Amino acid sequence: MFKTISDTLENKLNGLYYGNRILLPFSCYVLKIIIEDDILMDFSPSSKSIYLNETDSFTEIYFKDFKNLKDTISKYESVKLIAVEKNKDIFQMENHIKLALRVGDNHKLIIEKTDEDILFLE
Amino acid sequence: MNKFLVRSTPDRNKLLGKIYGNKIFLDICFVLLFFLNTGLLSAEVKSNLNADTLNVASVSNAHIIQQPPVYLIVPFILLLLAIATGPLFYKHHWEKHYAKYSIIASIVVAVYYVFFLNEFSGLLKVITEFISFIALLSSLFSASSGILINVDKKSTPIANTVFLLIGAVLANFIGTTGASVLLIRPFIKLNKDRIAPYHIIFFIFIVSNVGGALTPLGDPPLFLGFLSGVPFFWVVQHMWYMWLLALILILIPFYFFDLFNKKTSSKELYSGKIEIKGHRNMIYLLIIIAAVFIDPAVFPWVPDLSPLPFGIREIILFAVVYFSYKSSDQKILIANEFNFEPIKEVAFLFVGIFITMLPAIELVAFEAKAFGDKLNADVFYWATGVISAVLDNTPTYMNFLSAAMGKYNLDIALKAHVQHFVNVDIIYLKAISISAVLFGALTYIGNGPNFMVKSISERAGITMPSFFAYIFKYSLLVLLPVYTIIWLLFFYGRG
Repeated sequence: MFKTISDTLENKLNGLYYGNRILLPFSCYVLKIIIEDDILMDFSPSSKSIYLNETDSFTEIYFKDFKNLKDTISKYESVKLIAVEKNKDIFQMENHIKLALRVGDNHKLIIEKTDEDILFLE
Repeated sequence: MNKFLVRSTPDRNKLLGKIYGNKIFLDICFVLLFFLNTGLLSAEVKSNLNADTLNVASVSNAHIIQQPPVYLIVPFILLLLAIATGPLFYKHHWEKHYAKYSIIASIVVAVYYVFFLNEFSGLLKVITEFISFIALLSSLFSASSGILINVDKKSTPIANTVFLLIGAVLANFIGTTGASVLLIRPFIKLNKDRIAPYHIIFFIFIVSNVGGALTPLGDPPLFLGFLSGVPFFWVVQHMWYMWLLALILILIPFYFFDLFNKKTSSKELYSGKIEIKGHRNMIYLLIIIAAVFIDPAVFPWVPDLSPLPFGIREIILFAVVYFSYKSSDQKILIANEFNFEPIKEVAFLFVGIFITMLPAIELVAFEAKAFGDKLNADVFYWATGVISAVLDNTPTYMNFLSAAMGKYNLDIALKAHVQHFVNVDIIYLKAISISAVLFGALTYIGNGPNFMVKSISERAGITMPSFFAYIFKYSLLVLLPVYTIIWLLFFYGRG
């Protein structure tokens, strides 16, 4: 079941989180992640802060500096992420999508496109 | 506060560790030597001091300074050391355990005062001051977090300069913390197409520090001075010209930095509008400002709730925290990424600072008595400033105020003495007050809002300079000449 970022946003689909691991219900290219005030751009296997795994149907991310995202991110905060759809040109800035990931109850990860009130500069 | 102190990459921390460690080490050595010297001298001067103090106390019918042993300042020094180094060298451990360290340090000192010195009044006074302090800070933080400002204007050097100037003035009404929370996001949005680290750094200089030098609401050290007995309007009366000069001298280089920024704003059309959401919280801010004056010492009709360690003012301020949070628009709180964690951290760390500071303040007063003639305005200006830059400026202010008052056998624990001191020789209080506020801008850890602004900027995606790049590329180059000019014009050779 291949889903795109657009499908996820249009259908208001949720992701999942377990401890320090999040699961996004789409496959994508991840360019930049901000969690609290850590700006993460090194997604190489040697990164000490993050582990990223892309499969055909989902993307999973481990935040190694945190034990449990629920304890770290308040209900008003989010993990921010810049991603590009798998079938789109990564070098076209207009294809860069800014997402806010909010931790909800029962392991739900709420995925929203950031509105203009939320500060998020690339 | 330290929520914002703890975030920096571990690799960078390791890299910075050695050099920063040396600097901190030197500063700590200075403080240690100062206090150790106190211990060596204390035996010699103790009897005279007690006699003098008793005379003073008999006049004011109040507090008798009992000299605590010098080793009782160890919890204070260790706590300050941990606050300065924890977020940089062992951030995850610190993040998890800071509250325990602070509480343990407080208990050690409190137990000694209660069970060994049988001294309750000093302890009760610092607890009362702490409650006032945290009530003000948390109410400003909570009320400001429910306000969102959008500025739809083109970014130009003159618009940015005016923005920072307005922020500096506002900081005197809602504190440097409140003004920073309220204005950093609109400032980043205003400059979204041409943002550079210097924008944020000058914001820290002006709005998070220098701006708040005019009133006790502006910066925590001045508020603590007010609680101790410095009249509210004393600060603006005696510091406005230094404040103005510092602002002008810092805004001029900012204007030229911004003028030479080659990035241009996008060609979109700007409405020129300034939109403010969360008006109800503006009313809460006005209530906070009014509440500061609701004190039996200001208006005799205000009920005095003593021996309770709080008054009507604190009840109003804590009510503002609750109601402003409950009535804030959820969308605004999300846009401001609101979290009570910073206030929780300030509360835990400052309860430790306030209580462990008690023996340090008393020992400094003894030290000043012995070395009174050697402590002049130059020493007060630079020593308060340098220590404020690397440690917290609030305890630094209190310690040096205690030392200055010690020159005249006056006790900082007594309001009447403080009120008398401000009329004795104002040069020392001026030097301590202005440098405690100004020098907080020299490093990220000099003042609470500095790291908060850095953190908000990084959360927005802006890569900020490292601890040392901030100091060597910006603060020393811009601020040190300004602070030297202020010293030469207003303090050098004057007392």
